[in-house]
Amino acid sequence: MKAAFFTFALLAAPLAAQDTSLHEYLIEGEDWKEAASGYEFTDGLCNDAAGNLYFTDVKAGKGIYKLDAATGATSLFLDNLPGISGLHIGPDGRFYACHNREQRVIAISMKGEVEVLVTGVKCNDLVVSKKGHVYFTETPTQRVHWITPDKKHAVADEGRVVKPNGITLSADEATLAVSEHGGKHVWAWQIQEDGSLTAGAPFMTMWLPVGKEAAAGDGSTTESKGRYFVTTELGVQIFDPAGRLAGIIRKPVADGKVVSVGFGGKDHDILYVAAGKSIYGRRVKVSGYFR
Amino acid sequence: MRAACRSFPLFMKHALLFASLALTLHAAPLDDQYVLGPDSQVQPGVPQGKVTQMPAWTDSKIFPGTTRDWWVYVPAQYAKDKPAAVMVFCDGAGFVKPDGQFRAPVVFDNLIAKGEMPVTIGIFIQPGTFPTSQPGAKPRSNRSFEYDSLGDLYARFLLEEILPAAAKDHNLSTDPEMRAICGNSSGGICAFTVAWERPDAFRNVVSHIGSFTNIRGGHVYPALIRKADKKPLKVFLQEGSNDLDNQFGNWPLANQDMAAALKFAGYDHKLVMGEGTHNGRHGAAIFPDTMRWLWAK
Repeated sequence: MKAAFFTFALLAAPLAAQDTSLHEYLIEGEDWKEAASGYEFTDGLCNDAAGNLYFTDVKAGKGIYKLDAATGATSLFLDNLPGISGLHIGPDGRFYACHNREQRVIAISMKGEVEVLVTGVKCNDLVVSKKGHVYFTETPTQRVHWITPDKKHAVADEGRVVKPNGITLSADEATLAVSEHGGKHVWAWQIQEDGSLTAGAPFMTMWLPVGKEAAAGDGSTTESKGRYFVTTELGVQIFDPAGRLAGIIRKPVADGKVVSVGFGGKDHDILYVAAGKSIYGRRVKVSGYFR
Repeated sequence: MRAACRSFPLFMKHALLFASLALTLHAAPLDDQYVLGPDSQVQPGVPQGKVTQMPAWTDSKIFPGTTRDWWVYVPAQYAKDKPAAVMVFCDGAGFVKPDGQFRAPVVFDNLIAKGEMPVTIGIFIQPGTFPTSQPGAKPRSNRSFEYDSLGDLYARFLLEEILPAAAKDHNLSTDPEMRAICGNSSGGICAFTVAWERPDAFRNVVSHIGSFTNIRGGHVYPALIRKADKKPLKVFLQEGSNDLDNQFGNWPLANQDMAAALKFAGYDHKLVMGEGTHNGRHGAAIFPDTMRWLWAK
């Protein structure tokens, strides 16, 4: 089969990781395990270089929580920041956050010092590039926003993405991907050298639940070889860099939700999902891009 | 047809010899049995057409932001006052090279000279890529989006962008019976999709190792063919029994399912099943015969 995959890859396009099936990155016998519990509505998964996982409890939480990669213990890392729905650590070592409850985007130092970047936006989720560009989704207004490293703010796309929600980057940071909560596509844009977005198109198509027209695409992340992991009503849908649906990992709780996804653990090979009251994790054969 | 009868048995003898050697001695890939015949080689005295690389197509409205290379082959027998048949090739770079796997311009030269296919202008198009100015980043391929997606987007790209551009300098037939489209793998399903969506514009399809699998929903074609009004298409399918079996589907089964559906619905079609893997070797070896079949009235 290796030879067949190889020739196919040659024919199709010389892209990395494009023909790997679900069966080749899940580990037999490694199932979802509850990693943290006792919350109302977990969200905003992100990680640091050591593989510590950070998350929020949008509905009832006090701030940013930390799941320690070494001990597996959970603690309140930063207090007095309730209502954050999206979180990412930028190249300057600060958190960038969609402070949904306050309708603003903020940066937060590891000590909790807050800098307000944009106000008056119903920010849902965000991602920060290595160059320091912040891209965030505003689900109800169908907008994708862009904040430059010198804090200039612009609407990068409007009215095309049906309820834009999850947001992530390709492993070469030349593509931005945004999932539709109200549709079935994951859109992709080219990120130009100045950080601007061009050539937006519905590049990936999510699998729909039977009888539905929306996939409920939500939080998204990227694996180190460039595959996109997108939470949906059916589970975590995985797309290769060519935009082809490669597989769907089932949800930890069949009738529950998954709204955010990220990699953590010291080797960045534990796939975590925010699934309502709990965070679940499972070890996989691949690892996360964001470190 | 006479030329085909002369060359084919000799080629088959070679093929069988290669196959038995491969199986008994070297266990070499099954694809080695497929070799090009004389119609795929430049023949003395046969007039040669001209291949021109066109300026890269960079301002597509259908696939905004993409760039792609494309080439036009014009046979020596082409006359401006007479509309030429048209054949489009997906992943055109692999077909247009005179020393490449398919050598379509050479095959066209030979068959047109013998009167075994019409005077045909070949249009060879690469899939789009999104160029990037970011250091260390690679251009993102739009191939799967363009080729594997169902719907009329790629047909519209041809009809609204590429064909009008090619028609500026060439007299292209607008008769759908005189227009064909060919591709390998995802290009194969793309070729079928173009004709399926726009039989008013393209009625001849050649698919090698076609991806009638669930990359982006293409596995539904056999079901659609069985339940839809019969379209006036002529469809050639080449497939190998050792082709891909992966998360998207099983290529040999998918192509046999396509052929069964085309048969059920009464389509003019042909499936050639070989033993190859996922590459163009078999399709290239039989390409001259495929052209004879495709263009025969």
